[in-house]
Amino acid sequence: MRTRSAVLALILLLVGATRPAAADPRGGDVAGVARDFWELIQQIRGEPADSIRTRTQAIQPRAIPAAEAGGFLVDLADLSHPLALEEQIGRLAAMPEREMRATIPGGAARLGAFSVGSDQTLAGHLLVVRGDAQVFGRLQGNLVAYDGDIVVHPGAVVSGDVLAIHGVVHDRGGEIGGELRTLSAAPVETAVVEPPLSAGEVTLRRVAGVLGVFLTLAALGYGLAAFGRHNLQVVSDTVSHSFGRAFVTGLVGQILILPTFGMLVVGLVLSVAGILLLPFAVAVYALLVIVGVVGGYLAVAHAMGETYTRRRLAQGLMMGAAGSSRFLLAGLAATMSLWIAWALFGWVPVAGSLIRGAAILVTWLLATAGLGAAMLSRAGIRENFAGRIIPPEALTDEYLWATPQFGVPAVKRPGAGSRTGGTGA
Amino acid sequence: MTSRAALCAILALVGTERGAAQQMRDFSSARQRHGETRLTTRLDFAAGTLRLAPGPAGQLYGFALTYDAERFRPASRFDPATGSVRLGLESTGRSGIRVSSPGHLEQSAHVTLSPAVALALDVTLGAVDADIELGGLRLTSLRVETGASRAAIRFSRPNTTRCASAVVEAGAAEVVFAGIGNSRCERIVFTGGVGTATLDLGGAWTNDARLDVRLTMVDLTLRLPRSVGVRVEMERFLSTFDEGGWTRDGSAYLSPGYATSRHKVAVSLATTVGNVDVEWR
Repeated sequence: MRTRSAVLALILLLVGATRPAAADPRGGDVAGVARDFWELIQQIRGEPADSIRTRTQAIQPRAIPAAEAGGFLVDLADLSHPLALEEQIGRLAAMPEREMRATIPGGAARLGAFSVGSDQTLAGHLLVVRGDAQVFGRLQGNLVAYDGDIVVHPGAVVSGDVLAIHGVVHDRGGEIGGELRTLSAAPVETAVVEPPLSAGEVTLRRVAGVLGVFLTLAALGYGLAAFGRHNLQVVSDTVSHSFGRAFVTGLVGQILILPTFGMLVVGLVLSVAGILLLPFAVAVYALLVIVGVVGGYLAVAHAMGETYTRRRLAQGLMMGAAGSSRFLLAGLAATMSLWIAWALFGWVPVAGSLIRGAAILVTWLLATAGLGAAMLSRAGIRENFAGRIIPPEALTDEYLWATPQFGVPAVKRPGAGSRTGGTGA
Repeated sequence: MTSRAALCAILALVGTERGAAQQMRDFSSARQRHGETRLTTRLDFAAGTLRLAPGPAGQLYGFALTYDAERFRPASRFDPATGSVRLGLESTGRSGIRVSSPGHLEQSAHVTLSPAVALALDVTLGAVDADIELGGLRLTSLRVETGASRAAIRFSRPNTTRCASAVVEAGAAEVVFAGIGNSRCERIVFTGGVGTATLDLGGAWTNDARLDVRLTMVDLTLRLPRSVGVRVEMERFLSTFDEGGWTRDGSAYLSPGYATSRHKVAVSLATTVGNVDVEWR
């Protein structure tokens, strides 16, 4: 591969060397040939050649005529805002060469390479578009090059500022009265921005995200069921028996979280001894809020799973032991179902947004109720709102689901009517 | 665990939205020195890496910058009437709350200042990793304000003129202020928020100085050369102070050989919730 490149380079060198010097607008010197050769090598190797240089070489240098009244105007009096000038001159540079017209107040504009000779004195600002500006003599004003370099040679004088937009200022010993500025062209380095994901990739990523959340919550739930089963069940029962009350309490709790936090901090700061407890109190408060929300949400999932599982067991559609872990899994699966629907169909216009909105709303409702239940039951310590009038050991599946406990169906139990009738007879 | 769950939930909710592309550009500015004798420099740098050092005498200042064009624009303005220059970055208003994140390519700035002019330097840093070498400059006054930065301010060589004051205000920062003896500043003020600070009083002292240090929740390391007499007046609340090697003089602490030292530094140290360690050199 290297040998082939070397042979190719040799051929190109011979071709380049035999080209007539007049073909190079910048002169037929050895450096010009070498530059052409190098650019050709770059192009053949697929590397980006110096596009600006290539473009400017093709330009026949000439003056850019002044624009008509109200036409394109570039003010070079103040070069301290190079980005604004870049945008302004960029519009001029983008014009077709023959249509280029620009008024430079107190100055002139040139297209292509331009030199101020050593015996020349140029009064006024100078704009050079798509070419290098070489200063050997004196320039009494500001100098701007767009898509080109500025070279200030020894003995040259520029009284004002110089600015190279998409180029470089070479100070080779000249005198520059003002500021030298350079602004690079295209991005120097761009962060690696991944291409947009396809619909399938987006769906997969979302499903993975939802599954990740599900597994994390399930793991947390298992831990809670293992080490705080009683508390979990009490909060869960509070949700089941006092859902409305729990929701309102959760809502109020959400509203009061920040004010309470503020009062806590202010109270501790005002008390001299309390300030020491401040970092500890802040951490504990944040932990309590997180535990309240996440634990409450898990309790809601537990309640949902319990309702579903007991109903299935009572109907004989399901067999096996009914425990908190099973309730949690079933409940979490139910709560995640909307998110799964969003993950799968979120890409559908309108419907995707609706599903997502519904999932957010339902999740918020459940989390609010869970937080409220956790607050009402003091994290599962108080059973006042858990509906535990009968001892837990009496709450068998048959008792809960096969036996009506309230209302007319309870009156119409099999056998109850005949006993009554019998007595009457 | 709970925070991880919350993070997962947030990531799942956020989905796959992408950030805007980042466009890094180069900008440079410089000015030849044409007989100027003084320069007031204000440098504002919000995020990235900053290097400041003495430059060639014939160049008043030099500023080379690689910046994120999506979030910032370069600033370089010289006012010949006042002999002042403002260098740095200005926000485009599209940077959002965060000024720096791992996803962003790092911005960098390299500033050089002429050692031949009397220099008043005012530096404001945001989330910046800064190395500020001031040795060899003709610094008449210094003010450095840092945000969440890691900054090293050094006088590796003596300041070539007397400096009226040096004020360093550090936020949540890790600051090293080294070679204070070379600074030739008559008054030095160091204010620190949360973080760590090192004040190195080393260097070639040519004058007496006063050092005011105000710290809150900062671990301070004082590096003290034995050749300089140091007198520390201290106010501390919930703070520790390494008293080894000091001599008590009423409420003050005196360094060994304080009375016979040619140059004396009076340190007023107020610290709340922090530690003060002393390293003798």
